[in-house]
Amino acid sequence: MRVYVLRRVLQIVPTVLMITLVVFVMMRSIPGDPVVALLGDAYTEEDAVTVRAAYGLDRPVLVQYVIWLGKLVQGDWGASILSGRPVLQDVLIRLPVTLELIVLSMGVALAIAIPAAIIGALRQNTWADYTATTVAMIGVSIPEFFIGVLLLLIFSIGLGGLLPSSGWVYLPGTCPTMVCGVSLWGNVQHVLLPAIALGVGRAAILTRLLRASMLEVIRTEYVTTARAKGLGERPVVFKHALKNALIPTITVMGLQVGFLIGGAIVVETLFAMPGLGTFGIDAIIARDYQQVQGFALLTAVVFVVINLVVDLLYTFLDPRIRYA
Amino acid sequence: MADAGAPLRTKPRPISGSSLGEAELTTVRGVAWPAAAERSEAPLAQAVRRLRRSTTALVGVAIVGVLLVVAIFADVLAPQSPITSDQTHTFERPSRAYPLGTDQLGRDMLSRVIHGTRISLLVGVSSVLLALFIGVPLGMIAGFYGGRIDTLVMRVMDLVLAFPIYLLAILLMVMFTPTAGLIGTMKVTGAIAIVRIPIYARLVRGSVLSIKEKEYIEACRALGVRDPWILFRHVLPNCLAPIIVTTTLGIATSIIVEATLSFLGLGTQPPTPSWGWDLKANVAFIQANAWLSLFPGLAIFLTVLGFNLFGDGLRDALDPRLK
Repeated sequence: MRVYVLRRVLQIVPTVLMITLVVFVMMRSIPGDPVVALLGDAYTEEDAVTVRAAYGLDRPVLVQYVIWLGKLVQGDWGASILSGRPVLQDVLIRLPVTLELIVLSMGVALAIAIPAAIIGALRQNTWADYTATTVAMIGVSIPEFFIGVLLLLIFSIGLGGLLPSSGWVYLPGTCPTMVCGVSLWGNVQHVLLPAIALGVGRAAILTRLLRASMLEVIRTEYVTTARAKGLGERPVVFKHALKNALIPTITVMGLQVGFLIGGAIVVETLFAMPGLGTFGIDAIIARDYQQVQGFALLTAVVFVVINLVVDLLYTFLDPRIRYA
Repeated sequence: MADAGAPLRTKPRPISGSSLGEAELTTVRGVAWPAAAERSEAPLAQAVRRLRRSTTALVGVAIVGVLLVVAIFADVLAPQSPITSDQTHTFERPSRAYPLGTDQLGRDMLSRVIHGTRISLLVGVSSVLLALFIGVPLGMIAGFYGGRIDTLVMRVMDLVLAFPIYLLAILLMVMFTPTAGLIGTMKVTGAIAIVRIPIYARLVRGSVLSIKEKEYIEACRALGVRDPWILFRHVLPNCLAPIIVTTTLGIATSIIVEATLSFLGLGTQPPTPSWGWDLKANVAFIQANAWLSLFPGLAIFLTVLGFNLFGDGLRDALDPRLK
């Protein structure tokens, strides 16, 4: 087991390297470069050549990548070509916003999915089950941004501006600069709609999956045995059935992380949140190479680490799975 | 992953696997051995018969059918041009002349939603088919021959899968530079197809790995049948069921990805009507003109729902063991 964990942790390195390399090469093959935007109206071919040389953009792509890596291992993430701000500082300011959004939306998803799936499976083919499955089907079919728009219509516009439609208020203690709104209640108000918008779709997927595996599990002999020995319904459902039914669900949750990162880009754009998603999409569109690299690196690390955690959780939940 | 509980099964599983199609479970449970009666039937006829029994699948088929008609006859059905602006009629509320109102350029929303069906369906279907035509042969070759080819193909596929899919699709679209019209639509199709290829390659490789050990394949080999013939006549038909199901459900996903790219401004560019773009453009005016972003959103939702219902029904009909 220990060997397996070690091997999996070591596997993170090549994956992250590959992702950052691919992003690096892709960004540099995009027509147009940041120098054009940097020079703006004062653009002349000679100036562009000098500026490119100053940033090392005239060298072969692979050489540039190695230089970027070399600086990275020394803790230097580079600086934005357009604004001159250090990339590491910028991403670290934005990371907590996105992490809060992703964690809360996963919480929303589980809070809806677990009860819905249990009720659906235990009361199979009753109206409660039909409601759960129908709502889940609808949930799978709505894109995050449309749920977001509907929430905006209801809570920000319909109910007399009950919840804010955009912007962000930081949690106490996380304010990255001297000037920003800080309050717990304000933070909750701002994160609620985006988290629901992002969480509902995941909730629907998890409900469908968890309900199906619950149905399979409650027909097994060990559940019958548990009931036969006089165990109450509660321990049977939660200790025997749910724990086993969660195993395939956990895998899918891991896969959903990729969607959550993409979904964060969309939801942050819709609600104008200062998170990593809006940072990344702005950087990609502005072709700010250094910022894009920082964004890709952090996204890749978060993605790979969460997948690793999910895999390890899998062995923990199901001792039958042994990795050599 | 779902196989963890497989050996524990004691009774024959009911026809429908999971999800909504389970509405008919009660009727099935009453029959002792439903499989016995069906055994003599051709697989295709069996699937069609099961599909026709599932209400949800039929609803899905109906939605998809209507959308296809709308997409094909968009020019006839749309009351006005989707791209001609009329500055004298901006932000009209829904009325008889403009059933869904007009946007900030005075374009008829109903006509834009109707024409948007084309882009959505075109990208959804063609991107999945493109991914299918590349991914399935790759998976078959990797699974059938194994060894170095297998390692090479699957490493590349793993690399693509290692990306969060939206990140890759966004990067590809920036690389292709989004444009309007048919070329723009083809770019989106290409970007989504690339992201989806590994899904097919993995799926097919997995099926081929188990199928190639079967006796009938060994028999083919013993008879001296050539590899391409074995692959296309004997291996492929046996892994068709999951491919068909993945394709139908994949169209739903692709339509969402297309709408998302458009929403981020990276899909087919205006003036070509696209639901995602219309939704995004009208969110800016959501305070005063709520209905404007509602209709493109509802259109996306209905389309995706149609393919999801159809795909779910197909899965239940084609292979009860599939999840």
